[in-house]
Amino acid sequence: MPLYQSENLTYYYPEGEKPALKGINLSIEEGEFLLITGGSGSGKSTLARVLAGLIPDFYGGRFGGRVYFQGRDLGRMDRRKLAREVGIVFQDPEKQLVMTSVEAEIAFGLENLGLPRVEMSRRVAEVMGFLDLAEIRQEFTAHLSGGQKQKLALAAVLAMQPRVLVLDEPTSQLDPVAAEEFLNLVKRLNEEMGLTIILIEQRLERCFHLADRVVLMEDGQVRYEGTPEQLSRWAVQRDIPFVPPVARFFARIGFPSIPVTVKEGRQLLRSNFDRREFPPLKPAVKADPEEQVLAMIKVWFTYPDGKEALQDISIQIAAGELVALLGANGAGKSTLLKTMAGLLKPGRGRVQVMGRDLSNGGRPGDSRIAYLSQNPNDYLFQDTVEEELLSTLKNFGLPDDGIVDEILEKLDLQRYRRANPRDLSSGERQRVALASILVARPRLLLLDEPTRGMDYPLKEKLGEMVTGLSREGVSVVLVTHDVEFAANFASRVLLLFAGRIVADGPKHQVLGQSVFYSTQIGKMCRGYVDGVLTLQEALDRLVPAWTARQVVR
Amino acid sequence: MFEGFFYQEKGVFLQSLHPLAAVFYLGGLLVLTLLFTNPLYLLGLLLVILLCIAAVRGWETWETYFRLSLSMMILVIIINPLLVRTGETVIWWGPRLPVFGRLTVSLEAVCYGAAMSVRLLAVISIFCLYNLTVHPDKVLSLLARFASRSALVLSLATRMFPAMLRQMENIREVQAMRGVDFQAGTLKERLSRYAALMNILLLSSLEDSLEIAEAMQARAFGSGKRSCYRQDTWRPRDSLCLGGSLLALAVAVYGQAKGFSTFSFYPQLGYLIPGPMTVVVLIIILLALSVPVVLSWGWQRCPYIKAKI
Amino acid sequence: MAFWRKMLLPLALVFIPGLLLASIKINAFLLGQGWGLLALLIIIIALVLMYWGFEQGRVSSREVAVIAMLGTIAAAGRVPFASLPGIQPTTFIVIISGFVFGPRAGFMVGSTAGLVSNFFLGQGPWTPWQMFAWGLAGTSAGVLKTGCPRAGKKVMTVFSFLWGYLFGWIMNLWTWTGFIHPLTWESFVATYAASFWFDTLHALGNAAFYLFFGSSFIKILQRFRRRLEVRLLPADS
Repeated sequence: MPLYQSENLTYYYPEGEKPALKGINLSIEEGEFLLITGGSGSGKSTLARVLAGLIPDFYGGRFGGRVYFQGRDLGRMDRRKLAREVGIVFQDPEKQLVMTSVEAEIAFGLENLGLPRVEMSRRVAEVMGFLDLAEIRQEFTAHLSGGQKQKLALAAVLAMQPRVLVLDEPTSQLDPVAAEEFLNLVKRLNEEMGLTIILIEQRLERCFHLADRVVLMEDGQVRYEGTPEQLSRWAVQRDIPFVPPVARFFARIGFPSIPVTVKEGRQLLRSNFDRREFPPLKPAVKADPEEQVLAMIKVWFTYPDGKEALQDISIQIAAGELVALLGANGAGKSTLLKTMAGLLKPGRGRVQVMGRDLSNGGRPGDSRIAYLSQNPNDYLFQDTVEEELLSTLKNFGLPDDGIVDEILEKLDLQRYRRANPRDLSSGERQRVALASILVARPRLLLLDEPTRGMDYPLKEKLGEMVTGLSREGVSVVLVTHDVEFAANFASRVLLLFAGRIVADGPKHQVLGQSVFYSTQIGKMCRGYVDGVLTLQEALDRLVPAWTARQVVR
Repeated sequence: MFEGFFYQEKGVFLQSLHPLAAVFYLGGLLVLTLLFTNPLYLLGLLLVILLCIAAVRGWETWETYFRLSLSMMILVIIINPLLVRTGETVIWWGPRLPVFGRLTVSLEAVCYGAAMSVRLLAVISIFCLYNLTVHPDKVLSLLARFASRSALVLSLATRMFPAMLRQMENIREVQAMRGVDFQAGTLKERLSRYAALMNILLLSSLEDSLEIAEAMQARAFGSGKRSCYRQDTWRPRDSLCLGGSLLALAVAVYGQAKGFSTFSFYPQLGYLIPGPMTVVVLIIILLALSVPVVLSWGWQRCPYIKAKI
Repeated sequence: MAFWRKMLLPLALVFIPGLLLASIKINAFLLGQGWGLLALLIIIIALVLMYWGFEQGRVSSREVAVIAMLGTIAAAGRVPFASLPGIQPTTFIVIISGFVFGPRAGFMVGSTAGLVSNFFLGQGPWTPWQMFAWGLAGTSAGVLKTGCPRAGKKVMTVFSFLWGYLFGWIMNLWTWTGFIHPLTWESFVATYAASFWFDTLHALGNAAFYLFFGSSFIKILQRFRRRLEVRLLPADS
């Protein structure tokens, strides 16, 4: 008997006109590691909530069809019993912690279950031991890092000893190191403890190879289900992007077997591609020196608590450059970005944007500098999208000479012109926030982790948009953890470590030399062939060296 | 940001007390401070409180509290002599005022004002001590036994407060980059910009609160009767402190009833030390209240005591 | 435990008037100088009662989260804003919360704001009084809504304005009862006069917030309130 069995599951949110899920028939076996993927709005999060029993209990709405859990109707199960069997970890760690201390947080679910104190003590101790949280037992939860918070959220659920763990994009708010650590834990839970894992994820580089089975969703329906390898082959033929780059590369060239890890990819590469045959690298085109937009000269910044977040930073950025700023958490990326924006005044050194000195006095706010923070909600308070754009123009005293139309068109927001920005999806909200700053025609665009929580198509769109802007002469600086995105779209990469710039140069130079800050394809090719970071580059340079293909020809 | 007052774990003795013992001790101090008017007793209590603050290395925090209470102390010192006319020993005859009549200042009222300013300082110092020694979490968990839902609301709010301030700062920055100048313009303009900021904060937080509620529900909140996890260890030190507080309270009630510890300001100042019992009662109370200070000292210096309590 | 839980309200109801009556007697025992202690006791009992009321009702996880969130926002409102010294929206937020979500929620938002903000800004003897004053502001706004549901902008602006003074007056009680003796009308007036300008500023701030932004904030809360109800719709076959 399968653990879960859904029959013709259909669901509408209370305000929804369209079904969020339609006609889903899915069965999940005990002990399985199931990956559910798909684009934004494909219904994968909704499905996760059905499996966790939150729909329709918490959301209401219109629910049709049946879901069985161990043969029993999920809708008729006692809520307490269900909570003991199924645990769910959500996207944002900030929004699932309830208590003030780590220990109390773990105990919260157990208290809700009404367990006796002895039982609670044992479970809390066990979980803290397993996840190595004993050190921070008494810590104030608000002071933890993002990775620690998410680990705590996981611990709190594990303490309830569920058989099934549903994870709804648990790593989307984490930096790569914390994300990797989190997924490794999940893998251990599956392999050692035999927990059934249902992982919802739209960025597959890190988790694709962990899954036993992948379900691809689209428009509230299951589009495909199969092993990672089967899915890769199937998806690539249909130009569906939900396959990680290495697998996509091999599927794309029609290779007989599809690797799901970088290691397998590397082995296939070495045994099947002749390194003597790689076409030579095209020399990078040296562009003429452009007009300089941003200049930072020996900039230092120290926080009031004494942390030297920026040390002796000197950068020059020319018009039309697209710079990616990489580095670990706490390396000073956001601080650097805020200094460029004029939000933080450097203690020493100078920051000049288009000749204006930002380092001394003067309030922030210059129509030539646009800054997009991590949370698009911070921008939205007008009643319509259009008003949101007009308000920026008004603040800067700029006229609307058709720029509002132009920007709405460019960001594909025309149809939402009169909509309330708060009614839009998160991807759309981010576009509105972006529109509200681009409307002032900035020369310098600063983006703080713009790809957070985005699926492949959305990222592609964003990338094309910023590339377009940089072609028009706008300098773009983006802070990101997303090396794939940086490799695809940036022209120059800065690597920050402990407040200092440790590498600065064209992307191939910086990412190609780096062991850790590289793309999946870059990692696969490392030490075998140079100058290959993206799928396109791999197709261009590797394919001619594929020995088997030459034989066929 | 704004966390200077938030509890910091310093690993000192007084912070290791059971919340019940700590709250009882502090409550006892508060009751005694509000009970006594005798200047000697008030000064004695203040001394004990300050010793405790020294024992938790809290001088810096206390300084802020002291500065805060200065204005109130001055108010108490001024209002008492100017407006209370029960004292007989008039030392200054002031002008006649329309509502209040003739202003007089009596020696008794001046003394009373001074004593009350000491009481005020003592009360505020007790809360300073509370801030330094009791983790909010401990009180919340104490509360959770009786009122689990209220305790949950409070602990949720405590957890979210720092994030809320950070978010407010983010919104301010973002809006500043969009050309909103919070400093310029008329008061009404500035007010409306501030309101826009609160507006964003409200919209975003309300959305977030649904996600928090969902996470709570997913962890079986509201699925039936809750149990309570938190248990704090009760050690000999807690019994000793509790005993000290109880003794001090009992002796205080005895002293108050027998009139040993009372002091009358009006109509004329009484004798500060009418008899030996006044001193005896005071000494017993102060010694009983000093138990935590003495233990703290011993805990730091003497490994034997440390192991035993 | 269950017994005490049941008995808490009747006991408290007997206790408060009893305490007030006895205060004449006790006060003699304290040589007429124990008003500060008594006032503190009464406030604490009132708080206990109101919390007890909140414990009794049925509250969903959504409501708990929203109340906590509103309390946090109100608490964050206490943090001074650089360009507007002295003006803070805490009372305003507490009042509109009570107005939209009812007296019990109003009390919780107000008292939470008082307690939690002081965890960070410093606990003091003012804490219980602030919890009580803000809690009462929220409750009264909720009661006003039930009493006259049509209370419009004008009424509410005046109401907010008055709460500026009322808040200050409740806060003055602890200074007055604790540190001034004997409690005469003159000293009462003088204590209140000392805080007059401060209270006026508070009242004007409240009124301004309500006048200019009350309706838009209330609209947000009401729109959100609808989302708190879980609507299960019949499945169409």
